[in-house]
Amino acid sequence: MKLAAMLAAALFATAAQAQDSIKIGVITDRVGVSKPYAEPATEGIIFGASELNKKGGVLGRKIELLIEDDQSKPDVSAALARKLIDQGAVFILSVSLSPATQQQQTVTMEAKTPQMTPMNSADYLTTQLDNPYFWQTGPLGSVQIATLLAHAKTKNLKRVALITDNSELGQAINKAFRAGLEKSGIQIVEEEVVSNGSTTATPQMQKIRGANPEALFVAGVVTATNVLIFKSYRELGLKFPIHASYNLSVPIYQTVAKGLVNGITFVDAYDPDKPEVKAFEAAYRKETGHAPANLHGYGYDGIMLVAEAIKKAGAVDKGKIRAAMQSITYAGVMGAKGMKYSFAPGKRTGFDPNGMVVRVYEGDRQGRVIYVGQK
Amino acid sequence: MQDFFELAVGAAASGCVYGLIGLGYLLVLRPTGIINFAVGEWAMLGAFGGFVLLTQYEWPYPLGMAAALAATFLIGWTTERVVVRPLVAKSAPLLAPILALLGMVVVYRETISAIFPPDPMPVPYAFGMGRLEFGAIGGTYQSCFIIGVTLAVFIGVWLFFERTVAGKAFEAVSLHRRAAALMGINLSRVTALSFGAGAVVAGLGGLLVAPNTSAHYLMGVPLAIQGFTALVIGGVGRVEGALLGGLLLALAEQLTVRYAPIPSGYAQGMPLVLLMIFLLLRPTGLLRARA
Repeated sequence: MKLAAMLAAALFATAAQAQDSIKIGVITDRVGVSKPYAEPATEGIIFGASELNKKGGVLGRKIELLIEDDQSKPDVSAALARKLIDQGAVFILSVSLSPATQQQQTVTMEAKTPQMTPMNSADYLTTQLDNPYFWQTGPLGSVQIATLLAHAKTKNLKRVALITDNSELGQAINKAFRAGLEKSGIQIVEEEVVSNGSTTATPQMQKIRGANPEALFVAGVVTATNVLIFKSYRELGLKFPIHASYNLSVPIYQTVAKGLVNGITFVDAYDPDKPEVKAFEAAYRKETGHAPANLHGYGYDGIMLVAEAIKKAGAVDKGKIRAAMQSITYAGVMGAKGMKYSFAPGKRTGFDPNGMVVRVYEGDRQGRVIYVGQK
Repeated sequence: MQDFFELAVGAAASGCVYGLIGLGYLLVLRPTGIINFAVGEWAMLGAFGGFVLLTQYEWPYPLGMAAALAATFLIGWTTERVVVRPLVAKSAPLLAPILALLGMVVVYRETISAIFPPDPMPVPYAFGMGRLEFGAIGGTYQSCFIIGVTLAVFIGVWLFFERTVAGKAFEAVSLHRRAAALMGINLSRVTALSFGAGAVVAGLGGLLVAPNTSAHYLMGVPLAIQGFTALVIGGVGRVEGALLGGLLLALAEQLTVRYAPIPSGYAQGMPLVLLMIFLLLRPTGLLRARA
């Protein structure tokens, strides 16, 4: 309810305030496939805007959020980017699906309007289009996999199994996992797919058990299918360790997979012991009455980076904001301790490749960091 | 062999769920001639009923289960009243209610996606996560529970059709609607009850499988396909055909994944392969209707 009130305050500013406010567009997904990720990130943005406005806003002007829902549909997303720019948005934050964010770029590049995704992980977002008005601070998929594999190397693994779902993203991550494992000289002794909509993963887990791996890598991104895998793992009494993709960092596992995830390691961009995280969690809890998830941190960092860029630009001018953004350095909630977002010359990806962490489930809770970076 | 015995009980449980969904089709199909692809969504509604009553409100399992099934009965009954009956009253062709019910698939799914978060929702096991062992064969408590409940349902439905006057009325309607009406059978009531009963057994399938798969707004379509395939394999002529088809389908699915020398990604196509084989070679299914 408090978040709703904050949103209402952000959206329904008085006419006088609206004229003076700095309008930031947000393209999110409220009903589509990205909703589990986009919704908490958007809440993080709303919270961040509220915090900024309590402190007087940016350059003495309030932040006004213009939030639109693209349902993760790229065509809808591009039209919404145009709408937001027409409504006066000087910056667009994209927290929907990567292809939708990509489609928005066709508009922001033409309209020379700064755009950033604080959470999308697709590697192609800054490489396929040479859009100087676009930045990505979400950790790249390749960085996530490299971090998990760097941790795996410390275990001296020789023989592992790989399992995923049949979603497009699950297959893509599986391919990247396979490539990384093979590059590391680790033998994949069994590779399995669990179809979405299956009622069990026991046959696949039996085959994996038969191959006797030292560890299992879970590349799947469909939560229900991953839960099936973990149930079969427990039912069959398997003991080899499980290393999982960033999908395990979504908070729903703590309720939907009760009793199933203890000991599973997963890659994440959130360190609960980091001072910035502790401050963020305390402030968020005080404001909303409940604890944030890691996904809230992506949105919070996104709006704070935008505010920093506008402050640094010293004016609400898209060209000046673009230049300020490219030279920004900022320590946020996300990333390992000490990590700062920054954009190397010629690069528009701001998440430090050594900023990811590997965490472990302790009971049903997403627990401590056990590995940092790719070294 | 250890793997086979481990799989047998779990596959039988999956087959029972497919059989219940198949029975959901059958109960509507026989008296009305309507193939109702919304049964998968009824299963999804049963699963969400379990989530709300058993997980959120923590009702005792029997009470929560009964209430969830009562709710699905009402949904099935109301669907017939609101969506199907007006079309039948206007003498619309048979295709009209089939298409309208396909539209209801979207209505059910979007309603649930608007009410609940998009994440899979947990539904508790009836008896926890333990295992029962019968010599070499073993299965989880939930698998054994699914098998027991499904057998009870199929026996009950079989007895209803074979041993009761009301069941004979349903049979009469399925044989010849107009003649049944002339014999004084209330067609509207039989049709409404068939939708209600179809929703209950499909909802039961969803409720029983949800502790494994979680309740999710997209869970209906795969179950609808598996239930339909089970019905095609077993045949629409006999109640027990749906169960036989479900069991064969689940065994074929899981044994193919486990033992066939092909990647498990390809093995997932087994239901569609079976569906095509039966439609081409034995479209009446394994069990033919009694003369």
